[in-house]
Amino acid sequence: MDKMIICRCEEVTLGDIKDTAEQYDATAREIKLRTRAGMGYCGGRTCRPAVDKVLEDITGEKPGDQIPLKVQPPVRPVTLATLGGRTNDT
Amino acid sequence: MTHKQMRIIDHPVLGAMNERDIMTFTFDGHTYKGFKGDTIASALLANGIRQLRVHEERGTPRGIYCNIGHCFECRTTVNGVSGVRACLTPLKDGMVVTSGQTEPVPLNSEHDVDELPRTYTEFIQKQKAHEAGDSDA
Amino acid sequence: MHDVIIIGAGPAGLSAAIKCREWDLNVVVIDEFPQPGGRLLGQLHQEPNGEWWNGIKETDALLQQATDLNTDIRCGVSAHHIEKTNNGYIIHTNEGILESQKLLIATGAAESAAPVPGWTLPGVMSIGAAQVMTNVHRVRVGQKGIIVGVNVLSAAIARELQLAGIDLHSMMLPIKSSVTAEHAHPKKVMDGLVRIAHLAPSAFLRFGSTFAKMNWIRHLAVQFYPRGGVKMWGMPIHVRKAVKEIHGTEHVEAVTVCRVTPDGEEIQGTEERVDVDFVCIAGGLYPLTELAAVAGCPFQYVESLGGHVPVHNDRMETPLDGLYVAGNITGIESAKVARAQGEVAGLSIAKSVMDAVELIEHGIDNAIANVLETRKAASIQFHPDIHEGRAKVAEAFVEHTQTQ
Repeated sequence: MDKMIICRCEEVTLGDIKDTAEQYDATAREIKLRTRAGMGYCGGRTCRPAVDKVLEDITGEKPGDQIPLKVQPPVRPVTLATLGGRTNDT
Repeated sequence: MTHKQMRIIDHPVLGAMNERDIMTFTFDGHTYKGFKGDTIASALLANGIRQLRVHEERGTPRGIYCNIGHCFECRTTVNGVSGVRACLTPLKDGMVVTSGQTEPVPLNSEHDVDELPRTYTEFIQKQKAHEAGDSDA
Repeated sequence: MHDVIIIGAGPAGLSAAIKCREWDLNVVVIDEFPQPGGRLLGQLHQEPNGEWWNGIKETDALLQQATDLNTDIRCGVSAHHIEKTNNGYIIHTNEGILESQKLLIATGAAESAAPVPGWTLPGVMSIGAAQVMTNVHRVRVGQKGIIVGVNVLSAAIARELQLAGIDLHSMMLPIKSSVTAEHAHPKKVMDGLVRIAHLAPSAFLRFGSTFAKMNWIRHLAVQFYPRGGVKMWGMPIHVRKAVKEIHGTEHVEAVTVCRVTPDGEEIQGTEERVDVDFVCIAGGLYPLTELAAVAGCPFQYVESLGGHVPVHNDRMETPLDGLYVAGNITGIESAKVARAQGEVAGLSIAKSVMDAVELIEHGIDNAIANVLETRKAASIQFHPDIHEGRAKVAEAFVEHTQTQ
C-alpha cells in the first residue's frame, strides 16, 4: 500500500508522505513542500483532498477554515507568453 | 473493440447520434478519423487509444483521468504547442497531435537531499573530503 | 469594463447570466470547456416520478434563454488569476485580461480521488470522466469495467453507463488506506446508500431506506450484506468487497478484489482477479474554490457541503465587495439547486448595479425561497446534514461582515 501513488503529477507515494512526516516531524504544510505532493502540474486539483486526508491521519491536524496549503496564482499552468500578456497561444 | 463499437450511435434516452462531419488528424504520426464536436481525447478514445503520454520523469503511461480539464493528465503537443489538454481541445481537421515523452531531469539528485551542501563553505569542505577520500583509494 | 464577469457556464453561471441580461447588464460568461453547460451536460437520470432528467436538454433550455437575451458566452477561456481592485476585479485568462465591476465565481466542483494502487494506468478514470465521455462525446470508455466507490454520484453514473450499453462487472469499495478511509468503510458507505434507495428498484435497499434512521438496522444490513451483492439495475453493488489493486502494463487489464469486514479490513485469502478494461474511481465531489481563494475570499470548512466553501449569505454575496458565488462552489448539491442559486446571484448583482431596487428586491426574495424549496424537493441529496451546513456558512457570513 505504501507504494500507492497519491499525487499523480509528481508521483509521490503514500510511503513518501509517511516517511517524510516521520523523519522531519513535519506539519502538513512542510510535508507538502518537502515531497511536492499536490504541487505539480495540476496544482493539486486531483489529489488535494487525498493529500489532506493522509496528512490529517499522520499529523492529527484537523482541517481548519483556512485552506491547508495556500492557493497561489496562477491556478492553471500558463506559458510565460500568456503571463507576459500575449493571447491565443494555444 | 472496433471504431464502430466505441461510438454510442444509438442511445435509449438520448436518441441517435446526429450526423457529424468527419475530420482527419494524426497522433504520433498515425492518421485517424474523428467527428466534428469531438475533443482530441474523445476522438483518440473512439479509435481505441488510451495512452496519451508518459510521466516525464518516470516514463509511466498516462491517459485521460478527469476529462474536464482539472487533472492535466491528458496533456499532449498539438500543432507544436506543448501542454495542451486533449480533453478540452476541440478536434480540428488536419491537427497534428503528439504524445509527451520522458524528459531529462538534471536537477534531480540521486543522493539524499540532506547530503547536498547547503552553503559554499560546506561545498568546499565536502569537495576536500571527497578529494581526500579519492587519494586514499 | 464590464458590469459583470461570470466564471463558469454551468447551471449556476448560465441562470445568473440570464437574470443579469434580463436587467440589461453587460455580462461576459467564460468557461474552459469547449461547450457551455458545465457538468449539467452529462447528467441523465430518472426522477422518482419516472421522468428523465436530461442534462443536454436542460442545458439547451438555459442556452436558448441566454441566446435570446444576446448573452456573451465565451468557451475555451481559462481563468488563472483574479485581482481585486478599488472598483472591481481583474480576471487573468489565457485569452487576456477581463475587467468588471462585479464578479460571480460559479466554478462548480472537482472530484476527490479514492485512489487504489495502480490508479495511474490509462483506462482508470474518474467517474465524471466516464460520464462526460459517454453522454457528451458519445464514446464508450471500454468494454467491461468496474466502479470503485459506492456513493450517490457513482450509482447515478453507473446507470448512465449501462444505458449506453457499457458492461459493468460491479460497484465496490476502494481498499482501505489512510486516503480512502470513509469510502472504504462499509458502515459509512451503507449510510450513504440508503439515501439513494428510492432511485433503485431493489427490495433490500428499500428495506434499508425504510429503517434508515435506525442505526442498528443499517449495521445489521452491513453485517449480513449478501455475498453476491445487492443488485441495482442488474448490476451488483458490494459494500463488503473492495478493489485492492489495478493491473496492466500499458493500460488496465484486470483488478484484484477481496472481501472486507464490516469495518473495511481485508479478509485474508479472499482475493479474486477480475478482467476489466476500464476502472472508474468515485471519491465524491468537493467545491472548486481556488479562484475565490486567490481573490482573497474567506472560507469556512463544512463537511456536509463537501469541504472548504467561500463564506457567503443567502443572497450569494461574499464578504468581498462585488464578489458573488453560486452553484457547487458553495456546497455539493444537485444541478437544480445550482440553477436556483444562480438566479439569486444574478438578481443580487442586478440590484447592486441598477437603480430599480424595489422591483429586484421582490425577485430576490422569491428566488431565495425557490432555492430552499428546490433543496427540500431534491431527489438526489449528497449529504444528510446539508441544512445545518448551510446555516453554519450563513453565520460565518454575519461574523465576517460584522468584524469588517
